[in-house]
Amino acid sequence: MRVPLGTLRILVLLAVFVATGLFFASQIDGYLNARLFNRISGSVAVIALIAVGQAFVVLTRNIDLSIGSVVGGTAYFTGGILIAYPGLPPMLVPFLAMAIGAVFGAANGFLVARFRLPSIIVTLATLAIFRSILVQSSDGSSITTDRLPPWLTEFATMNAFTVGDLQIRWIVVISVLVVLTAHIFLTRFRAGRTFFAIGSNPDAAAFAGIDAGRTIFLAFVISGALAGLAGFMFLSRFGNITVVAGLGLELKSVGAVVVGGVNIFGGSGNVLGVLIGAALIDLIDTSLVRWALVSAFWREAVLGLLILLAVAADTVLMRRLLRRKPTGGAP
Amino acid sequence: MPPVLDMRDISKSFGGTLALSRFSLVLEPGRIHALVGENGAGKSTLIKTMTGIYQPDSGEILVDGQPVTFPGTAAAQRAGIAAIYQEPMVFPDLSVAENIFISHQNRPRLINWSKLNDEAAAMIARLGVSLDPIRAAAELTLAEQQTVEIARAISLNARILIMDEPSASLSDHEVKRLFGIARSLRDQGVAVLYISHRLEEIFALADTVTVMRDGKHISTKPVAEVTQASMIAEMVGRDMAGRFAREPSKNTGVTLLKVSNLAKTGTFRDVSFTVNKGEIVCFSGLVGARRTDVGLALFGVAPADAGTVEIAGQPVTITSPNQAQSLGIAYVSEDRRKLGLALTEGISANITLPMLGKYAGAFGWLDRMRELADAQAFRQQLNIRAANLTVPVGTLSGGNQQKVMLAKWLNTRPRLLIVDEPTRGIDVGAKAEVHQILRTLAAEGVAIIIISSDLPEVLSLADRILVMREGRIVGEFAGDTATDESVMRLAVAAPDTVTGVA
Amino acid sequence: MTALRSWEGLLFAVLILIYAVNAWNSPVFLTVGNQINMFQLSVEKIIVALVMTFVIINGEIDLSIASVMGLAACAFGWMVQQGAPAGGAVAIALAIGFLCGAFNALFIVGFGIPSLVVTLATMIAFRGFARVLVEDRGISDFPDWFDALGQKGLIGPVPLAMVLFAVFAVLAYLILQRTAFGRKVYFIGANRAVAEFSGLEVRAVKARIFIASGVISALAGLLFAARVGAVRGDIANGFELDVITMVLLGGVSIFGGTGTMSGTILAILIVLALRNGMALENITGHIQTGVLGILLILSVMVPIIRETGTRLIARVR
Repeated sequence: MRVPLGTLRILVLLAVFVATGLFFASQIDGYLNARLFNRISGSVAVIALIAVGQAFVVLTRNIDLSIGSVVGGTAYFTGGILIAYPGLPPMLVPFLAMAIGAVFGAANGFLVARFRLPSIIVTLATLAIFRSILVQSSDGSSITTDRLPPWLTEFATMNAFTVGDLQIRWIVVISVLVVLTAHIFLTRFRAGRTFFAIGSNPDAAAFAGIDAGRTIFLAFVISGALAGLAGFMFLSRFGNITVVAGLGLELKSVGAVVVGGVNIFGGSGNVLGVLIGAALIDLIDTSLVRWALVSAFWREAVLGLLILLAVAADTVLMRRLLRRKPTGGAP
Repeated sequence: MPPVLDMRDISKSFGGTLALSRFSLVLEPGRIHALVGENGAGKSTLIKTMTGIYQPDSGEILVDGQPVTFPGTAAAQRAGIAAIYQEPMVFPDLSVAENIFISHQNRPRLINWSKLNDEAAAMIARLGVSLDPIRAAAELTLAEQQTVEIARAISLNARILIMDEPSASLSDHEVKRLFGIARSLRDQGVAVLYISHRLEEIFALADTVTVMRDGKHISTKPVAEVTQASMIAEMVGRDMAGRFAREPSKNTGVTLLKVSNLAKTGTFRDVSFTVNKGEIVCFSGLVGARRTDVGLALFGVAPADAGTVEIAGQPVTITSPNQAQSLGIAYVSEDRRKLGLALTEGISANITLPMLGKYAGAFGWLDRMRELADAQAFRQQLNIRAANLTVPVGTLSGGNQQKVMLAKWLNTRPRLLIVDEPTRGIDVGAKAEVHQILRTLAAEGVAIIIISSDLPEVLSLADRILVMREGRIVGEFAGDTATDESVMRLAVAAPDTVTGVA
Repeated sequence: MTALRSWEGLLFAVLILIYAVNAWNSPVFLTVGNQINMFQLSVEKIIVALVMTFVIINGEIDLSIASVMGLAACAFGWMVQQGAPAGGAVAIALAIGFLCGAFNALFIVGFGIPSLVVTLATMIAFRGFARVLVEDRGISDFPDWFDALGQKGLIGPVPLAMVLFAVFAVLAYLILQRTAFGRKVYFIGANRAVAEFSGLEVRAVKARIFIASGVISALAGLLFAARVGAVRGDIANGFELDVITMVLLGGVSIFGGTGTMSGTILAILIVLALRNGMALENITGHIQTGVLGILLILSVMVPIIRETGTRLIARVR
């Protein structure tokens, strides 16, 4: 029985994840416990959301470097609105945050899809622009926990259910639901498949009558909306939001996407892999802090090298796959 | 049976050149209709007109007796016209089943994978072949990808399937399978338009054959009533007025290049020939005969795997353009835009590019006066018409670009000049000028290899003509005794039908 | 060529305009002290912009520059802290820049992975190494001569930074516009296949450019350390935005092959004057960066703007 390439990727990733966990367990006393799970699951919930959004964009052969600023921006604006209108129904607030994020995403999508500008340049610019909008409107003042409605800050640690010592928080449940929804959309819906088609062969996609501009625009809007939801969770988890909130998250999202097996050149990938990728990156981050031998400051270096390794391995693998393809050729 | 497609008096011109001239074609359901013609006869323009990529200047197209217009490819697709090409257009990351159904707008939004795979398998089975619908297209062979494209076309209810040189890069076994597919489609009532350079395929497959030449319809006959010889005569038949005059050979009889048993796996083999100083040797053959590959191997761009090359009696192994240049080889590519010139850069910079070292002094400082002086000399010698020598090459006409490309390589003072399609897409005046330049070079003792699909050009320039077919040299003619028909017969015939050539 | 000249003409006009507005707004702007200060505060970025011009004309991008700056500066700081002589530390920091560039080149030229992806990854990794070295500390207490290089005048009131920029600008101009190497950079960026076909050593040229980018970035990082008199893990973070903006605003196409060094130099002056003008108006750094972001988007739209412009002109004629 042949294992499809995508499934193989996820299996390898799971194995790496388990091996990493076991490695740290052998190095750190009392490592594997419920507290570790509870801590990691909370931050993975946030990163998984932005990574899934990033995955939509990367599938279409683009990249969204503005995510960190979108998370910071939505966290700030949502907090600001809640301070002004503390009576807003809680159910509405996450959707409000997603709408704010979607507006940011739409700006990116418009510039990239309408003018066919390189997304890396556009989002590098909007990374700065969105941040400066945040700074401009905040006038340097921060959102603080005590000004927010209490339900919001409690929400981050609210458990949906517990399994033994493992606390499954609502934010984790929401994040997993988003991942599953995205997975079902991407694998079972015709509209989802167009993201793969555009990244896989743009010319053939045009020939098949697929509107690339619309799909790319949509990818950026999804990325923005999920970054908005992540911004809501960010606000809920930390309460205190300064103008640097979310700085550098875009790199983590790219890392999770690439390590999670999404081809950085578009066309293939799986958001379940992205979830594992996000968890792996966070596991390494968290564990380095507790590992006596190596300083916690290695985490960025490790992330960068991990991305490079994943891309290089993928490139080499794909090339081998293409070379394997026999051609008829002249006799 | 009434025709499913009726094209009447279709004309299409591009900037003064008439690519299709009152061309007519009738396709009937359940028939395989072959279309043959020389390179540049207008076949691709015809296909693009049928598939809605081009709109005809005049004439009308009828589908099932109703006049139609195709403002774009979607309209042609809706009318049931589909085309597959030599290079299949698939989504490498998607499965076979998805590739087949990707452009189906009327399928449910939610994908039922097992149903999709079953339908894909059934669609493929209709073609009389088997292919696992869940495999990714990237894993398939070229022939299998073609099958996927055909299945896609059929799933969209294509009633007219255009197959443009589908067999050009397939193995014999794969070609047989392709024929099987074409026949089962015919039996299901599809009208197939089959375009191929391999005439024997037409006898094996087609019911009817149309010959076109210079954008015109020449004949349409049942295959039973034609022979290879009659088809070839119709493909090349040309009034003698179109021929350029010949001039006496400048061949010195001193061998410069000797190639023995040159081979490259999957591309060409057993290629042996010599070229003398002052001699013009032309490589004739159809597109896909691998003539350019031999040239690129000699220039070190895609080196050969086996065989020997001697230059002026010295054995050499050429592995890079840089090395080829230092051996005195120059290569004027057929592809001006991709391999020939940097269109955004100036004329003189393009001309001096391969020889930058000659103009660079200490610290690589460029002597721009000297560059301009050399470029100016070529401008006069080759009659390059341009406002000045720094205008971007992209602003020049095709003929002048071709001359800049020649100047670029003449500036390397080559002993051996390889010119691929020296006059493609340039006007008659410039063509004659380029021919004269090549003759002058031969008179100066340069050994010249010309790769050309333009038979009149070959017959007018060549001291010797080597005919290639499917990666091998299948025959040789003296330039002054060859005729259109004798060359074409060798170029298109199956190797086993050709014996004891000149 | 005329279109190019007119783009530079436009840049020149914009520059004059910004100078005029700034001078109008603030009496300080045109003073020698402020002009020198304006250069000095950005010298790291503008030196790197010169080499980035080569990178982008060559059809590539280097996103890792700011991280190389950070890594070189932190490595220097760490070595000095460990008791190494500052002179030797400078040399080793430059060597680290060389290695960073060579590492990028290995993946880009050797394995054929697009520079966009490689330098995005190394941007994270190199920054990570910088943090490993200095963690969350700040390191200062450099030798006086080192701080003086960044803070005192070298020739009269003109500091080393300005002298270096002037020298590098002239060198970069001459190399790009007047030497065989510069010619190769253009042709490889304009059409890589043509360059290879013409016998140019494409991989060697690309490797050299990335290595130069690494070394110059390291030098810029050291200048930054000298100017501030201290290093931290996040030193020079985000500078790639300024640098890429300067180059693209200068008329270099993000797809390679076109642009000039004089365009970049004019764009550098524009960005400097713009930032300085905003600073004099007490506009914060974040907002300045946002304005630069807008400028960056406008500059990638340059080809579109230019095309529309040409079409309009053609219609008028």
